[in-house]
Amino acid sequence: MKLKINILIIILSLSVNLAAQEQYKLSSNYKDISFVDFVTRVENILPVKFFYMDEWVKDLKLGDYPDCTTIQCVMDNLLKGTSLYYYIDDFGNIVITNNYSVKISNRAVEKNNKFMPPSDFSSSSENQRMTGNVSVEIGNPAEKNKPGNVIISGYITNKDTKEPVPGVTVFIQKLSLGAISNEYGYYTLTLPRGIHEVQFSFIGMRNKIININLYGTGELNVDMKSVLIPLRETIISAQKSFTLQRFEVGAEKINITSFKLLPTSMGESDIIKSVLLLPGVQSVGEGSAGFNVRGGSADQNLILLYGAPIYNSSHFFGFFSAVNSDIIKDVTLYKGGIPSKYGGRISSVLDIGSKEGNRKEFAGNAGISPITTHISLEGPIIKDTLTYILTARTTYSNWILGLIKNPALHNSRASFYDLNGKLTYDLNKNNKIDFSAYTSHDAFRFNSDSTYRYNNNIFALKWRHFFNSRFFSSLSINSSSYNYDISSQNIPIEAFVLSHNVNSTGLKADINWFLGRNEINFGLDLTKYTITPGTYLPNNDSSLVIPRTIEKERAWEGALYIEDKFFLTDFLSFNVGMRMSSYFSLGPKAVMIYNPEFSKSKSTITDTLNFKAGAVISKYAGPEFRVSINFRISDKNSFKINYNRTRQYLHLLSNSTSIAPTDTWKLSDYYLKPQIGDQVALGFYEMLFKNNFEASAELYYKIIRNMVDFKGGTNLIMDENIEKDIVNVRGKAYGLELVLKKTEGKIRYSIGYTYSRTFIKSLGTFSDEIINSGKWFPANFDKPNDLIVTFSYLLSRRFSFSSNYSWSTGRPITYPIATYNVANKLVVTYSDRNAYRIPDYSRLDLSFRVNGNLRSHRIAHPYWTFSVYNVLGRQNVYSIFFKNEGENVDGFKLAVFGRPIPSVTFSFDF
Amino acid sequence: MKNIRQILLVSIILLFSSCITEFIPKTTEDQELLVVEGLITDKPEANTIKLSRSFHLGGFNVPKPLTGCDIRISDDLGQSFSFSETTPGTYTSDPAKFQGIIGRFYTLHVSTNVTNNNLNYESIPMELKPVPPIDSVYYEKVSIVESSNVSAGQEGCQVYLDTHDQTNQCKFFRWEYTETWEFRLPYLVPNSICWLSSNSNVINIKNTSVFEEDRINRYPLNFISNLTDRLRVKYSILVNQYSLNEDEYLYWEKLQNISEQVGGLYDVIPSAIPSNVYCLDDPNQKVLGYFSVSANSSRRIFIKDQFAGVITPYTDAACISDTVFGGGPILYLNTSVWVIINHPSPPPVYSVITRNKLCYDCTVRGTNIKPDFWEGGK
Repeated sequence: MKLKINILIIILSLSVNLAAQEQYKLSSNYKDISFVDFVTRVENILPVKFFYMDEWVKDLKLGDYPDCTTIQCVMDNLLKGTSLYYYIDDFGNIVITNNYSVKISNRAVEKNNKFMPPSDFSSSSENQRMTGNVSVEIGNPAEKNKPGNVIISGYITNKDTKEPVPGVTVFIQKLSLGAISNEYGYYTLTLPRGIHEVQFSFIGMRNKIININLYGTGELNVDMKSVLIPLRETIISAQKSFTLQRFEVGAEKINITSFKLLPTSMGESDIIKSVLLLPGVQSVGEGSAGFNVRGGSADQNLILLYGAPIYNSSHFFGFFSAVNSDIIKDVTLYKGGIPSKYGGRISSVLDIGSKEGNRKEFAGNAGISPITTHISLEGPIIKDTLTYILTARTTYSNWILGLIKNPALHNSRASFYDLNGKLTYDLNKNNKIDFSAYTSHDAFRFNSDSTYRYNNNIFALKWRHFFNSRFFSSLSINSSSYNYDISSQNIPIEAFVLSHNVNSTGLKADINWFLGRNEINFGLDLTKYTITPGTYLPNNDSSLVIPRTIEKERAWEGALYIEDKFFLTDFLSFNVGMRMSSYFSLGPKAVMIYNPEFSKSKSTITDTLNFKAGAVISKYAGPEFRVSINFRISDKNSFKINYNRTRQYLHLLSNSTSIAPTDTWKLSDYYLKPQIGDQVALGFYEMLFKNNFEASAELYYKIIRNMVDFKGGTNLIMDENIEKDIVNVRGKAYGLELVLKKTEGKIRYSIGYTYSRTFIKSLGTFSDEIINSGKWFPANFDKPNDLIVTFSYLLSRRFSFSSNYSWSTGRPITYPIATYNVANKLVVTYSDRNAYRIPDYSRLDLSFRVNGNLRSHRIAHPYWTFSVYNVLGRQNVYSIFFKNEGENVDGFKLAVFGRPIPSVTFSFDF
Repeated sequence: MKNIRQILLVSIILLFSSCITEFIPKTTEDQELLVVEGLITDKPEANTIKLSRSFHLGGFNVPKPLTGCDIRISDDLGQSFSFSETTPGTYTSDPAKFQGIIGRFYTLHVSTNVTNNNLNYESIPMELKPVPPIDSVYYEKVSIVESSNVSAGQEGCQVYLDTHDQTNQCKFFRWEYTETWEFRLPYLVPNSICWLSSNSNVINIKNTSVFEEDRINRYPLNFISNLTDRLRVKYSILVNQYSLNEDEYLYWEKLQNISEQVGGLYDVIPSAIPSNVYCLDDPNQKVLGYFSVSANSSRRIFIKDQFAGVITPYTDAACISDTVFGGGPILYLNTSVWVIINHPSPPPVYSVITRNKLCYDCTVRGTNIKPDFWEGGK
């Protein structure tokens, strides 16, 4: 039997005993036969197995080795003068390596008298490190004494699933040098020749340390084993050294294992809520839809799933994220320093990395919480080649509503579900294709009144091609759509269905090229948008509603980008990028022309411009520069500067405090200019106390032009000429984010404090376009003080405890200030926009997790999570509202979680 | 987005442990803004323009009329009509000289006096659009099932309105109504039958431009609960239908959007609603209210029917008789609240039976003068 391995893996966890190794004797002469034939024959007569790659040995022929009687002797002679090495372990596996040799370290043998056994579970982090029992030689020993640095590179894969592992920190402590593996699991490091201890670490994976003896440029591919029970990781943490190494000011990576252990509100791990724990990220209220990054509005976040934008990121008005956490591998949030490959939104990029199916065996996970239930299944269809993963989540709130006697609630409905699926196909070692699909659905009805429904749909096809180990490409096509409809049958002659739809199709070509000290990324990003702003149609035969459709909006957005990360010296590195973005709004469309002497309104329309199908209505283009400088002051601290410009052509029209699922999307057009954001950020990062603590300070200043606001009391739905109600506003934001983290040990915590301000100023000239007399006023999400403390304590392998506390200034609000009578009705008039604030917000959550069974060979692995949300029972104000009832205007405050909310979640892996 | 709010509110209250408590915000503003309330119609009646100042929130709603202003309206033919101040802050036209004409544009001109800084205000020209007659106003009994404070088998009354415009000219409607009802005291007292009136205080508007036909069916104008005594004897409602310009319709719609409930996360961020009247001298002067120009049609109906569970304020518990003893003449009796209905034992014992005046004299609440439109005898 002949076994081949596609990508050579160094099997470090094998227990090796040199002394037991036999001499494999050969009796016949294999002169002049090919190596492959030799392998076939030898495997038939001896208990050995060869591991190699075909291309290394295709030209290899055996010579005449008259003195050789053992395999070892034949191999020694055969490989002499080639770049190949081999070793034989005590199971008879003969592993051939290219460019480096594997050597079993004698030192470890002498010291312990035996090798460390492979252990699946260890309680202390010290034991979990496999310290240098294997060392690897890389490069040609003949180059040993050449001057200068050499490059090592390689792929990091998950040992169990064979998936590439992005985001692994490859670090050399002595040199304080490191790298992060990219999305293909590929890393590259420039090092001086010599002996080094290379540490590979990643949240949720066992640390791995490999001693290398570096002679010259070569490859080091590594597989890492996941920690079966991710007990060790409980807090969101950008990894140490990762922070120092990365270019971006304000990039945060969250691993799924971290956020799954955070206290939950309704027993659901929730990605958006985890993101809200990061400094610089805020929301207008507990459980409100959307989030605000560094003073940006909620539609300025590019939320990517499978590389496609998600238009509505929440279920149930924001109480749940629209993306099931079962599908998430990791999440990267760029608050600043947005890489050039991302574009189209001003404030942030939230890139959700999705899981691939298990390549070896069928596995799954299911769970039940007070409001939802979820299941995920994964496994190979063709082992190691074609895999799938499917996840589903739904609520049973309709069933709960049905149990309620109150007729209004009994007849109400509220439900959601979401489904994710992904197929991954490894054509061969250089080509990989995956197809992903996602759908989410929400439906509401209050007391047989109007029904609200909304859906997200995403399809993505991605082809990754590795030209060689230093040149990668990925080509993807995706389609994302969001639509909602509101329907009513209450009054038959007025029965209607109102709907809105946004659809985008994107093509992305992205190329990564590692060239010496440069990592170059360039590509093309093309998106076609179609929006149906609104259709209003009769919902039955007797309805007198006139079918009305607002003209579709169509546009193309195209961008070319190039970015280079390069190390000028060991302590100074640059990331310079440019994204050339352009936008074309296309007909057919009728554009209204207004009398410029008056504020735009129906009565000031003077003319109509009719654009034919395909005609360019308006075009916008401009370069977006993205520059980061990373200056490493010492191996303990670094200083970064970053500037970036972003342009946004798609806007969400919302005139409420929080965004709502029924808000409409709008493309830039004749009147609506693209939003342009400029951010400058400075960051200082320091490792303290043997690198156990990480401190950082980031400072930013940001200006956003052409933001959208509205004339007072405007109705935005089914508005044919929305430009007449839009007010052009400018935004500015600045802030200081301070973080101190302890990321090692049984007790871990992080303290984050943010001081930030966000202001808006209206730029209109007519009285109804001027907000607050044209002065700067605080934005809806301007919450100057924000403190977040997370704490976790790992009691043992089975029990862990975590908590988080947050406190922030209350959001701004517009209060009623005076009343007057109109038509016998007492009417209220209001203060300047956002002139007041709601009370401060404060909340403490606790969570306790118990793992049922720690045995490795289990059928199902159950775990319980007990959590209490808002332990202090503080009645945090969710909203303050005013009801105008006859003679009085009464104020009320609503606390959504007015007392502690306990929840229990039961899940199990299988 | 009213429904969104309801759904959200219900859902979160259901699913989580929400609570709503009263909250009075502390504001520091001290603004008194000009409020214009004007209506010009095509009826041969006096038209009135009211000028006042806004009230402070949480303060007493004591009217603050703006007196001594010079008011006139002009039309697109260059004619001008002045108004005279009849009561403080209320300015009236002379019906002999002025009546609105369909198709004309009217502009309001206001000049304040020295004490109010001599400011000049003007409205944008408003067209008087025609209005169709009201086809019918009718009602239906509505069973009230299981509300928190009412037991089963209760009935209220829903008043509907139908109208249509064959000429397709009136696309934007507004209604006001006046309710009048007869009520009776359950005692043999001199004033036991009275009438009471109340004006609508809800914004009732409808846009028919979204419909193929300019027709409104079953517009739910007013719901009469059985928790008042309106339906106990006889009830009448007079509905006034007004035509609106699109701009005025949008004004009322905005008013409706923001004045009913504001402040929630999914509520439209409120702002002062711009008036069609603006200050010529100082653009920073905010003006509230609206100068309306409308054609008017009206219709009255009477409702005399049996509704289950209609309450009366004149219950035995509320109208209890009391005997008061005193050594001398009873001087301390507050006669605006209490009425002596009997002297069972004449002086010098001085004991009297008193009753709450509300239950003794119906003119405390209403008027004993039968309205001239009232059908039927007492």
